Amino acid sequence: MENAKIKAYQLFVLVVLFEMGSAILVGLGAEAKQDAWMSILLGLGGGLAVFLIYYQLYKYYQDIPLTSYVQKITGKWIGRIIGVSYIIYFLYSAARVLRDFGELLTSTIYTTTPLIVINCLMIFTIIYGIHKGFEVIARVGELFFILVYMMALVGFCLIMFSGLIHPENLRPVLENGWKPVLKTFLMETINFPFGEMIVFTMVLPYLNDAKKAKWVCMGGMVLSGINITITAVINVASLGTDLFTRAPFPLLSTISKIQLANFIERLDVLFMLYLVIGGFFKISIFFYAAVAGTADIFGFKNQTKLSFPMGALVLFSSITIASNYSEHIKEGLKIVPIYIHWPFQILIPSFLLIIAFFKNRRKQKEQS
Amino acid sequence: MKKGLIIVSLLFMLMPLLSACWNQKELTDLAFVMALGIDKGKDKKFKLSFQLVNPGNVTTGQGSGGGQGLPIAVYRSTGDTITEAARNATRKVSRRLYYAHTNVVVVSEKIAKKDLLYILDALDRDPEFRTTTEMVIARGCTAEDIVTTLTILDRLPVNKITKQLKASQAMLGENMSVSIDDYLSALVSKGKQPFLNGYSLIGIKSKARKAENLQKTTTDAFLSSNGLAIFHDGNFRGWVDDDKARGIVWIQNKLKSTDIVIPWKEKKKALVVAPIRSITKVSVHFVNQKPEIDIAINSEGWVSEANTVIDLNNPVIIEKIDKLVEKEISRQILDSVHAAQKLKCDIFGFGDKVHITNPILWKKVQGNWDEKFASLKVNVTTDFYVRREGIRTLPFWSSMGK
Repeated sequence: MENAKIKAYQLFVLVVLFEMGSAILVGLGAEAKQDAWMSILLGLGGGLAVFLIYYQLYKYYQDIPLTSYVQKITGKWIGRIIGVSYIIYFLYSAARVLRDFGELLTSTIYTTTPLIVINCLMIFTIIYGIHKGFEVIARVGELFFILVYMMALVGFCLIMFSGLIHPENLRPVLENGWKPVLKTFLMETINFPFGEMIVFTMVLPYLNDAKKAKWVCMGGMVLSGINITITAVINVASLGTDLFTRAPFPLLSTISKIQLANFIERLDVLFMLYLVIGGFFKISIFFYAAVAGTADIFGFKNQTKLSFPMGALVLFSSITIASNYSEHIKEGLKIVPIYIHWPFQILIPSFLLIIAFFKNRRKQKEQS
Repeated sequence: MKKGLIIVSLLFMLMPLLSACWNQKELTDLAFVMALGIDKGKDKKFKLSFQLVNPGNVTTGQGSGGGQGLPIAVYRSTGDTITEAARNATRKVSRRLYYAHTNVVVVSEKIAKKDLLYILDALDRDPEFRTTTEMVIARGCTAEDIVTTLTILDRLPVNKITKQLKASQAMLGENMSVSIDDYLSALVSKGKQPFLNGYSLIGIKSKARKAENLQKTTTDAFLSSNGLAIFHDGNFRGWVDDDKARGIVWIQNKLKSTDIVIPWKEKKKALVVAPIRSITKVSVHFVNQKPEIDIAINSEGWVSEANTVIDLNNPVIIEKIDKLVEKEISRQILDSVHAAQKLKCDIFGFGDKVHITNPILWKKVQGNWDEKFASLKVNVTTDFYVRREGIRTLPFWSSMGK
């Protein structure tokens, strides 16, 4: 645990940038076709409910991160094992996002560049940021939040004025019934990106005003959820159902269709810029959580020493987790949600909450 | 001092990273492909023609003689697939072919009959290729003829094609811009069939690619858009021309202005009215579980020619003109619907409308929508308003007392 303190606004900004991060870029909810926006909104609702679990745990143990209170709840050794699995989970998530980011750049513009070069450049920046401490990341977040919003507004206006939006592409609504929407909700949107708020349980102790934690985080989730929904609606309206499901990066396809006044065209760069910023924050926060967790469990006083080796670990994992893009996607959509996201994001925290609840009741009874 | 040295050396080491060495493409090593022509090859499946721009010659004076002054160069190559043909082209071209500025893809009629679908995935998947590229069918000539023609007003012939299609869509309405994206989304949709513009090389074909073609006021050979090609599931089915093509563009709500000729009293082609704005709304209603299409056209315009004695000052007469124009527009629209129904291709997207309004019924009919479309009842209601008559009130015919 380092001596960092962040303000409520910085936490809000981090939540929004983290959640929006890579969720906007990939075709979230594509299995629900034109009803993708519904599964995203459902995911937001589910995510808020899951966040309340984390918030309640935060209220019971306000100044210590997840890896510490797990030990307090389940005892030293089981707690440490669970803590270490969480560290591996965060490292894996960081590696996945880094891989996503690299894949996007190599399949669209840097087609002949090897993946490791791009991932290397990104991870060095992140290692440097983490090395300086969490406050630095929070401050960078403040700066970039405004930039990201400006870009989003500009992009939205350009898309509108290009006449790309055809609302009839969103109909017929619920053509295939509720099943695909619910299936996408449970398998995809509740875990990515809304369930990933688990990472903030490592970071909430840094908040200088504990009372604001609930509204700041939930407000951030709602704002980012609305943004992601709007993006999904714009994507389906501009591309049509078929292209939305076939394109790996629908927002990129939408932006490359902008054609205004004969010279504003091929604005893919806008998208890439957003990607770099979003990717930076998402990977940073996952990575930071892993570093803080390691320092916490293994008793490092100076956790900045850990940033470089763990960064190298994330870098190499991002290359080795999948040998091609199809494998990466299949892993992310079919295997990871059931076997990794649900246990780590929902099952274990609920389990911890139940035990903490009973422990707290006993403590209160002892006190009175 | 030591720290400063370390920082400076680090900065020097980081500089090569800024140059994006891996994906570096020097401008002088690139050949910008402006237009791509695809023909049927003799022994291989496809014969591609690449219209490359010669940047140095684009801004020199018009038709300034000699082979040195031509703005484009065309290279051809063959292959069984598009990628193979494109890579085979590197045997002839000294630079790397760069597709980011390809604005037009010309496909020959022979390819369009059976093999058009085999071109599309290469164009769809490549990140360098633009999805907003126009696609046209070469009619009565090969794609290579169109790609190799030099044009007189536009230095780059590909600009002529794209600009002309847009201008024609706005002023005549018998052709419209169709990009590869539009074609693909109509192709995969079960309720809509795709169509493309036709393009012809008219005149003495052998002279089209020579510089002397530009030396005359009336070039020996010139490019012209020519009708719409209707496809069914990606295979070419037939051509639709003139008036009938106009109806197709009108129903898609893409027509801005055109010329409507109406008779007056005994004279056959007496008045010409030009619409300025037009809004088309297509809707479906169901009668006994059978879909019926309602096309509502709302348009306004002005009288551009009055070749007879007529009292244009009289609002009652203007109303009569309105009614006549409405009748004529409805006739043109119905003509084009019948033409498409004869070919059994729903290029208007009526099936999509049925899908949106009644998905349950759509599931039942989508299997043989072609047949259903051919016997579909279409009602057209037109509202036309003549707003102005130009800067003269009565035509001079009225003053001549004839």
